[in-house]
This record gives sequence, structure tokens and C-alpha cells, in this order.
Amino acid sequence: MGLNKSNVEDQERRFALILFLPSFLLLLLITTAPLVFLAWNSLQKLDLGMPWISGFAGFGNYVKMGEDPRFWNSLGLTFLYTSSTVVLQILIGLSLALLVLQIPRGQAIMRIAAILPIVLAPVVVGLFWRTLVLAPDFGLVDLVTRALGLGNYNWLGDPQLALISVIAIHTWQWTPFAFLVLLATLATLPPDVFEAARLDRANAWQRFWHITLPLIRPAIVMVIILRTMTALSAFAAIFAATGGGPGTSTEILNLYAYRTSFTELNIGYGSALAIVLLAITMLVSWTLFRHRRKGST
Amino acid sequence: MNRFGRQVTLYAVSGLLVSVWAFPVLWAFLTSFKTERDVLAYPPMFFFTPTLSNYKEVLFGTSSILPNLWSSLVVTCSATFFTLCLAIPAAYALARLRYPFRRASGFYILATQMLPPVGLVIPYYLTLQRFGWLDTYSGLVIIYLTFSLPFAIWLLVSYFEDIPYEMEEAALLDRAGRWRALWFIVLPQVGGGIAVTTVFVFLNAWNEFMFAVVLGGNRVRPVTVAMFNFISVEQTQWAKVAAGSMVAMAPVILLGLLAQRHIVKGLTVGAVKGGGRR
Amino acid sequence: MSARGSVKMEKVSKRHGETTVLHSVNLEIKAGEFFVLLGPSGSGKTTTLRILAGLEPVSGGQVWIDGEDVTFTEPGARDVAMVFQSYALYPHMTVAQNIGFPLKMVGQSQQAIAEAVNEAAKRVGIAHLLSRRPGQLSGGQQQRVALARAIVRHPRIFLLDEPLSNLDAKLRLETRLELHQLQRELGVTTVYVTHDQEEAMTLADRIAVFMEGEIVQVGTPRDIFGEPSTMEVAGFIGTPPMNLIPAQWTENTIDIQGSTHQAPMFSSQSKDITVGIRPNDFRLTLHGISARVLHIEDLGDNTIINFEANTLRLKLKMEGLTNLREGEEVHLSFDPKSAHLFDRQNGKRLN
Repeated sequence: MGLNKSNVEDQERRFALILFLPSFLLLLLITTAPLVFLAWNSLQKLDLGMPWISGFAGFGNYVKMGEDPRFWNSLGLTFLYTSSTVVLQILIGLSLALLVLQIPRGQAIMRIAAILPIVLAPVVVGLFWRTLVLAPDFGLVDLVTRALGLGNYNWLGDPQLALISVIAIHTWQWTPFAFLVLLATLATLPPDVFEAARLDRANAWQRFWHITLPLIRPAIVMVIILRTMTALSAFAAIFAATGGGPGTSTEILNLYAYRTSFTELNIGYGSALAIVLLAITMLVSWTLFRHRRKGST
Repeated sequence: MNRFGRQVTLYAVSGLLVSVWAFPVLWAFLTSFKTERDVLAYPPMFFFTPTLSNYKEVLFGTSSILPNLWSSLVVTCSATFFTLCLAIPAAYALARLRYPFRRASGFYILATQMLPPVGLVIPYYLTLQRFGWLDTYSGLVIIYLTFSLPFAIWLLVSYFEDIPYEMEEAALLDRAGRWRALWFIVLPQVGGGIAVTTVFVFLNAWNEFMFAVVLGGNRVRPVTVAMFNFISVEQTQWAKVAAGSMVAMAPVILLGLLAQRHIVKGLTVGAVKGGGRR
Repeated sequence: MSARGSVKMEKVSKRHGETTVLHSVNLEIKAGEFFVLLGPSGSGKTTTLRILAGLEPVSGGQVWIDGEDVTFTEPGARDVAMVFQSYALYPHMTVAQNIGFPLKMVGQSQQAIAEAVNEAAKRVGIAHLLSRRPGQLSGGQQQRVALARAIVRHPRIFLLDEPLSNLDAKLRLETRLELHQLQRELGVTTVYVTHDQEEAMTLADRIAVFMEGEIVQVGTPRDIFGEPSTMEVAGFIGTPPMNLIPAQWTENTIDIQGSTHQAPMFSSQSKDITVGIRPNDFRLTLHGISARVLHIEDLGDNTIINFEANTLRLKLKMEGLTNLREGEEVHLSFDPKSAHLFDRQNGKRLN
């Protein structure tokens, strides 16, 4: 039997590295390396549409960004889009979860209905809404508004309505996630705490505010984090529904970076935009995670 | 409001919910069996003579999406397979074993999930183009690992952590050695977790759009891209679009319905214990 | 009965980052002995057991089994078997597969495994449960499966980590007897961890008492009960626990709250001590510690009387019933031979 010092520990370490290193190295290769490349590109003048313009641009792209109204538009839209949809998802998801909690028999069918939006491809969801739901004259929404006598709207063609529409689409698709997670969390709450509160003469609203909410807070925070990440990088649904338009009225930063890089072929500037989006995402997630850590317990 | 009244309202609201969430899919389902003329009828027809012509065209016509289904199948299954092969051992190591920089590497994996895809697709495009790997299966599968792998690892870690450590210790004392302890004792216990992870990885990969549209091409074109093209090409042919969507989404809808308990469990595990793309 | 399974630990220490969990543990266990590691939670006894098993690496010191240095040997190679507190059964395998697993791992034939499994199962009385799964068994049955899995390999040492703590009281007493018998039959060195001093006293050939990461006393149950080497050990062993009373020891007398009692020994200097008197060593006398009856516990065949003497709480245990009532004032004293004297500052035994 080995008398080598720490034979057992070394063995464990070797075993662990054999298991872990392949994934780690692969990820390093396909995420970190490209990011470095991206950062490099953002410092270049690289336009595939005008290949004669090339060379080091330094921070030129970023300076240009600061003066680009389309950039600020996309930033504002990103903020609006993300915050609206996440807030809506939580509010609606929580309310529905609380409601459904009280009808145990309906829960099975609710779960099935809730799964459907989540499993669909976002691009198909955008497609559905564009054609079947929001299309003027034939879409579902149009039928309803006409039946209610509220008239006819061009949901995706009107700049303001388009933004509302894409927010609605994203919310429609992802609220079930919040709903399911919160429903499951609520179901795990111990009933005796509520019984004690009832004996202490707390009414339904007080019980909700002082007991339910604090107890499900970790789940809510996690949902917020996950949904925010998804909203910041939402692409396919908007792309399918409006393409970023009309004009730039639904062009969140994500889409702006994409369009700049692949439609206008200005890779250098597009890379810079992507870097900014990356920075924002990292900042937001860091803040949210810190808040989660502080708030837990 | 009395008890009965409350129950009625609750059921009414739930019914409304079910319809809001399920209706678009059901409506698309219905529409896919209508003729184009019936689709344009107003008020909309609930009762009509169904036709399979849309499906026939979508599957066997000139713009058949069968090759796209094949692309999706190959890419998704390969990505899922490789993801699991890499993620299961990595998650076990992360959850259980002691090695240098374990915590840091754990955070790293979590961080990679936060990357916005648009930031990655630009360098990917340039790199794959230079090596001639655009529009290839291998190229696409490797890129799909970008989002599958960290997510799968993070999900699996929580399942591995749920297994009492003493069981592995008992196996070690029983002279199983680390590899056999993992194979005979640990893996059978996380079977459920692996199933859930597989479902999610498959879903995410099947539904991927941005990477597919930028890095694929004429040969490798998953159904998501095909559907997107449908919009521009088949402008007002709603019925055909509906049929196409049904076919494109059939696998995931089926998976969703069959595995719904697993999915719900996976959502809660992922949400409560941290990380996750969906 | 073989001479396998002797253990020696020398200067074994264990640190977790900043905290030291074990300070220099020295231990010798004879082959075939039933050796108990006793102590309150967190005293380091389980850590010591796990170090012996090879599940925890040492921060310092050495471990020998049968003269062989096993300090860095992996757990599977030490030929020791362990019964975990949670039993650690493999839930996806049947009882038979659970018991047979260690034999399968060393490559024995299916037939040999089946025979050995049957024999082990019969010995612990679960032969009828072989095709069930752990989830279908009661706690007591699961514990026997864990035992069977340990004995089936004929290891040189059994390690048991509080195996009875998850059982209800009655089952615990029954199983205790069976364990004792089993060990006598098999003659295998057994190292047993518990915080229950009654268990230790009834099962052990020898006990090592752990306190705060150190062994404070090693001895037979009789030694530890009759002559506890420190105040802590004295207060830990015995039900109800020993009364520990601050007192003054001068020459031949012990002064407790103004009352004098005869000392068992002579002390040339005046010392601050703590006197330990077991509840059944107290006597009601005419002159002694003034105490007032607080509460009388009638346990059927004996009685425990709780007293209050100024700020002290004292217990007296006697057979049968008592005539005393709550609130009565009495005097307590003791036979000097039954007094345990401890230095008040460092807690060490003085007599």
C-alpha cells in the first residue's frame, strides 16, 4: 500500500481533473477565446461591405457609439423592454400561482397549458403572433377588438404599438415559467406558519405580505435573474415578428448589434455594440447576484 | 363573495389562462387543416372540412421542410449527446470532488451562461468562415455546446449534490474505487436528473435560431430557420405556415406533453439552485 | 478469533482551515476488543473514526493497523468495514445486492457471493428480506442490512458510527444486546462511536472519552465510572449526572457552603476544589449542606430528589419511595470514600 504522502488526495485530484478538464477546456475555447476576438474586432475598422476601409480604430467605434442616436434608442428600448416584461411576468405569474393554488383539481391542466409557450421556439412564437394573432383583419386580437367594437389596429406596423406587441409576445411566452416555479415554491410552504398567523388574527393580505412573500423571496429573485438574462438576449421572437422595426422602434441593443454586423456588414462597430451589451449583461447579473447573496437568509 | 362564487371565479380565471396560453397553438393546429380560402373567411370558421393538402405540401412539396427536420434532428441529437458526455462527469467533479480552483471554475461556468449570444455569434461567424466550417454539421454542433454545456453542468450539479455523500464513502470502503463508485452507485441515482437535463438540452438545441441562421447555410438549415424563411416567402399563406409550424414544433410539443412533470421539476431545481438559461 | 485488527494511532491531529478538530490523539486498540469512542457532539470522536476508515486525511500523525502504516492508504485497501449513522444503503439495489456489493467489487464468483450473503443475512436475522429494497424496510431492518454488508467481508475491523441513534428507545436496547452478542461471536475488533454514555458502559471492553478534540481518559467502563480523571468526564458519565460542587479542601475536611465534611485524603495546603458526588452517594444527615427540596421525581422503582442549596442544584437518587415533601429543609452529606475531588481550575482529579 502506497506510503506516498497524500496518496489518497492526489488520486482524488487526478480523478477530478480527468472528469472536469475536457468540459472546462472546451468552454474556454468556445467562449473566452471568441470574446477576446470580439473585443479585438471592436477596436478595428472592419466593414465587409466596404472592405477597403480597414485598420486599427482604437476606441473610435465606442466614441461613435456615444454620438449615435440609434444606439441610445436601442439602449432605452432594451431597458424598457427588459424591465416591463420581467415585472409583468412576475406580477402575472405570482397572481396566477396564488390563484391556482386554491384549485387543486385544475392544476394538471394548468401545467399542460403552461408548458406549451415555453417549449415553442421563440422564432415560431414570433411567427405565430405576427401571422395568426396580430395580423390586421385576420388575427385573433383583431377579431376580438372588432367584436368588442374597439376597432382595428396595426399592431406591428405602428411604432408604439409594435413595442407593446413585442413586450406582450415575450411576456406571453415566458410568464408560464414564473408561474410554474412560483406555484411549485408556494406548494412547498409549510401550512403551520399560516395557521399560526391566522390565530394571530392576520388577514389574507397581511399573511401574504408578511409571510408568503418573504418565504418565496429567494425563488422570486432567482426568477428575476433568469428572466432578465433571457430578456436582455431576446432575439428570435422580435426578429421574426418585426425584424426590429418598423424603423428602429423595436430594435433593442441585441438586435442593433446583429443588424449592424450581418445586415449592414459593419463588423467593427457591431462588435463594439456587442461588447457594450456584454458589459451591461455582466453588470446586471453581478448586481442581481450580489443582491441575492445579501438577501438570502 | 361566498364559497361557491369564489370557486367559480377561480375556475373562470384559470380557464381564461388556459385559453390564452394554449389557444395560439390550438388555433394554429386548426388553421393547418383549413384551405387558404377558409383561413381568410370572416368571421373565422370553427367548423370546416379539413384538408391535408397543407401538410402534403409542407412535407412533400417543392419547399418541403423534411430536409430541415433532418438537419434539426442531426444537430440537436449530436449536441445533446456530446453535451451529456461532457457535462455528466464535469458536474460530478464540481459537485463532489476536491481539486484546485474548484470554486473559481464553478463560477466561471456559471458566468459563461450569462453571455449574450450576439456577442459570440460575430466572432464565430468570422472564425468559421476562415476555416470553411460554415454550413457544416460539426461547426454548428460545437457552437451549440456553448449554451448547452454550462447549462447542463449547472443543472446536473444540483442533482449530484442531492445524493448523500455517505453512500459513495460506503462504496469506497467496499473497495469499489472511484470509477466504479461513480458508475454503480452514483449514476443510477441521478437517472432522473439526467433525464430532465436531456429534455432541456434537447429543447434548447431544437429551438435555437440565431446561431442556426448565421452559421448554417443551404445544407445545414434547421427547422427554425426554415420557419423564418416561410414568413417572407409564403406571405399570406397562413394555412401553410400553420402546417409548417406544426411539423417543426411537433417534436418539442410532444416532448413537452410527455415530459411535463420532468420539465416542471427541472424548472424549479434550476431556479432555486441557481443558473439556467430557461 | 484471530489476532487481526489491532490499531495504533500516534499524535493524530486534524485541522479544518483555522479550526483544529483533533489535537494529538494517541490510541491503542487490541485485536478483538470492543472499543468505544465516547463524547458529546463535536468532540472529535466521529472524525477519529473516519480517519481510521481512511475517509478523512490526517493533518498530522500516523495510523497503524496490525503494525502496518496505513496513514495514507485508501479506504478500500484497509480491510475495514463501516456502518454509517444513516446506514448509507444503496437505494437502487435489493438487500441481497447491497450485502453482496463488497464481494462483487473484489470479483468473487456469483455462487460464493450468494452463499456469503445468505450467511450474513441469517446472522442478523434478515434472510427473509433479501429481495426487498431499502426503501421498503423499517429503520431497524435497514440497520441490519448495513450490519450484514459490513460482516459479509470478514474485515479485520468493524467501525460503527452511532448505529443505534436513529432507532426508537425500545429497539435501541434490544439491538444493543444483539450487537454485543454478535461481536462476541465474531470476535472482530470493533470501534464504536456514540454520545450515549449508557450505551458505552454496557457495550465496551474499553472506552476512550473525547472532549473538545482530545482524549481525556481511556479505561474500562468500571475505571471511568469509578475514577473519572477530569471534572468533565465525571459530569458526562452517569445518569443522572454527578453533582459537581465547588468547595474548599483543607487538611482533612471539605468545606461546602459553610458545612464541613470529612475528606478522603489529607491535603497540606488549602485548595479550591470541586467535589463530585454521585446522586446515589448522597445521604440525608443531621449536619451537612443545607438544602431545600425543590421537586421529587418518582420513577417507580427509584426516586430522584432535586434540591436547591443557595444557588446550587443537587440531585439525590434513592431506591423506593421517599417521605420528603416539596419545600422541606434537610441536610446532605456523603461517605468520604465516594467523593471525587477535582482541582477547580484545571478540572483534574486529585484523589
